[in-house]
Amino acid sequence: MNRHLCVWLFRHPSLNGHHQCRIQAHSYQFTQIHLDTRLWGFRQNRNHILHHLLNKNWFRRYCHQDTRMLWKHKALQKYMEGLNKEYQTLDQCLEPLSVTEGDRRSLNRRRAELAPLAAIYQEIKEAEQAIEELESMCKSLNKQDEKQLQELVLEERQTIAQKISMLYRELFQSLVPKEKYDKNDVILEVTSGRTTGGDICQQFTREIFDMYQNYSSYKHWKFELLNYTPADYGGLHHAAARISGDNVYKHLKYEGGIHRVQRIPEVGLSSRMQRIHTGTMSVIVLPQPDEVDVKVDPKDLRIDTFRAKGAGGQHVNTTDSAVRLVHLPTGLVVECQQERSQIKNKEIALRVLRARLYQQIIEKDKCQQQSARKLQVGTRAQSERIRTYNFTQDRVTDHRIAYEVRDIKEFLCGEKCLDQLIQTLLQSADEEAITEFLDENLKSAK
Amino acid sequence: MELWGQMLRALVSGLGRRGGTQVWAFSSWQTHLPLAGLLSATEVVSYWTAVFEKRGIPEARASSEYIVAHVLGAKTFQSLRPVLWTQPLTPWQLQHVKELSSRRLRRMPVQYILGEWDFQGLNLKMAPPVFIPRPETEELVEWVLEEVTQRSHVVGARGGPLILEVGCGSGAVSLSLLSQIPQSRVIAVDKGEAAICLTHENAQRLQLQDRIRIIPLDVTLEGSWAHLLPWGPMDLVVSNPPYIFHQDMEQLAPEIRSYEDPAALDGGEEGMDVITHVLALAPWLLKDSGSIFLEVDPRHPELVGSWLQSRPDLSLHLVAVRRDFCGRPRFLHIRRSGLQPGCPTDTWPGH
Repeated sequence: MNRHLCVWLFRHPSLNGHHQCRIQAHSYQFTQIHLDTRLWGFRQNRNHILHHLLNKNWFRRYCHQDTRMLWKHKALQKYMEGLNKEYQTLDQCLEPLSVTEGDRRSLNRRRAELAPLAAIYQEIKEAEQAIEELESMCKSLNKQDEKQLQELVLEERQTIAQKISMLYRELFQSLVPKEKYDKNDVILEVTSGRTTGGDICQQFTREIFDMYQNYSSYKHWKFELLNYTPADYGGLHHAAARISGDNVYKHLKYEGGIHRVQRIPEVGLSSRMQRIHTGTMSVIVLPQPDEVDVKVDPKDLRIDTFRAKGAGGQHVNTTDSAVRLVHLPTGLVVECQQERSQIKNKEIALRVLRARLYQQIIEKDKCQQQSARKLQVGTRAQSERIRTYNFTQDRVTDHRIAYEVRDIKEFLCGEKCLDQLIQTLLQSADEEAITEFLDENLKSAK
Repeated sequence: MELWGQMLRALVSGLGRRGGTQVWAFSSWQTHLPLAGLLSATEVVSYWTAVFEKRGIPEARASSEYIVAHVLGAKTFQSLRPVLWTQPLTPWQLQHVKELSSRRLRRMPVQYILGEWDFQGLNLKMAPPVFIPRPETEELVEWVLEEVTQRSHVVGARGGPLILEVGCGSGAVSLSLLSQIPQSRVIAVDKGEAAICLTHENAQRLQLQDRIRIIPLDVTLEGSWAHLLPWGPMDLVVSNPPYIFHQDMEQLAPEIRSYEDPAALDGGEEGMDVITHVLALAPWLLKDSGSIFLEVDPRHPELVGSWLQSRPDLSLHLVAVRRDFCGRPRFLHIRRSGLQPGCPTDTWPGH
């Protein structure tokens, strides 16, 4: 392929002129940029239709294809230009010896911060420049005998598009404000809602809990059951699990909220009459704190066990090792009976309690920090309805990004389908955060 | 004896069935099972809970859950994979549950029925008549751990402590200390042969046999401490000695009375028989300002305090009493104050 392209470029010496030797030297990379910029031209028409990207609904369908659309946002360009300028002036500032040692250090630090951003910005700029050149080149490429070449160009399109979007992703990664708790393990709790219409909530709660258990094994996370209160007919009232592994909170943080189900019950009158019922269950995702993040004063705890009466010690031999912790200042109650050893159950319960207290701290934190920000995904409370599972239509809809998946069964397996949705959510949240960040930047610049 | 015979028969019949020959050949408890059909774990638990309740077996639900979970390969019913809750048990599993439950009907402690139990997160083999560790004792271990880590800050870590445990039973206290204090070494003594064997076995199971020395010894015998002198002065003595007042022994539940070794429980008239022996031998073996940690009856802190005052020759002082999770004064920290009086006493902060 490379050879073909070189041949093609030789056949148009007038167009390539000064580029020629460079192309031969490191042909592959360079031609890629050239080709892509031509494709860029093809796509631009489409892109500008999508320029309402900053509307709340822009995500629908296209959202994860084109992070580069954000690039067209004036604020981002302005912001990046600003950064680039700052980076270059920093270089100049650092040159003269007149700078004091302290200044030099802080300037150097800022420079190190900006360097990767500036590098990416430079690459993108170069690519953009190349677009313009290639666009004019494209015009001369309409003759019949060059059809083969055009096909080649199209063929190359896929790989190059990916590469360019990589650049953008990289840029966004460096721009998105980092979330403090992303790396933490989590405690995930599910609770079935209450409806009059039979046990669809409890059945649904079990299905959702199983889905997250499967997702954990899909992601190679460790899944430890902390609590499991079953309902009749294989349903589930409430359950909690500790999930630990790589970036667990990052992936699960947008799963918290009310999940709604619409289905025809499997038993009872409604089943016979084919009447659709609506039910809910809630998911709570708590980042698991480190020991140091939350201190619990033993004086604030009341520990209930099943040995509170009688002489205790050697006088009795009980096996019931369940523990219930009551945190007196907050009234939070945590139970655990996962282990045979009572002291281990106490440890687990204390961990859960810490996570809940931590959650309260975080929420207070968030309220203070981001009272101005109203991210659709990022800052909603865990009490909002986030997703509907419509069994009769075999469809899952996420209400925050208007995302739809067919095949509920596959989705509930907790593998690829769920992962795709989660990735999309993460991306949307990132983009929202950037937009928000840039808007603020624009405002303050004015 | 009769019980053992039945257990043996149950086992034999179990083996026979696995071979597929005599499926319901032995079924004196057949009447308890309503149907051998498709019973889920939850249903089996409910069924045996009801049976236990009817027969007045204490902790009916807990017992039933532990047995079913054990047969299904989990430690607790709560930790069983939820999928297994609703799946029907195989005939073999049902039979296994039935055999174990029948032992429970004879008031055998669940820990002996399962042949194992957990202590401080360690899985230990349990076998009658060796004393079954109680949850309070986990707190005794916690306290020792706290003190050891505190002291290692003061002294600086140069090798782990040498610990003597009197009355090791299944080895629970010794092994959990070994597993949690790096470089520690333990001398574990017990007068019961079964206890010595079980501690050996549990040490092997947990790969801790290299740091533990298990010695058959009756500390109530005259001059028994002399056997321990060669092992060097100890940093700590830990013990959960028999402390039940003799007259209380008859009121113990059948699980304890007819299965556990009374020698591990009966502390004599005031429950002090073994406690005083431990205290009397400790000064010979402890380092200066070494410590003793004891689990005792709630009436004992006072009794031990005054007993120590009557024996100033031992140079032992009760420095702290701690309560168990039910709020009963349960644990004692006694310190040897060295031979010279007026030695500083703040190395071990009191509580």
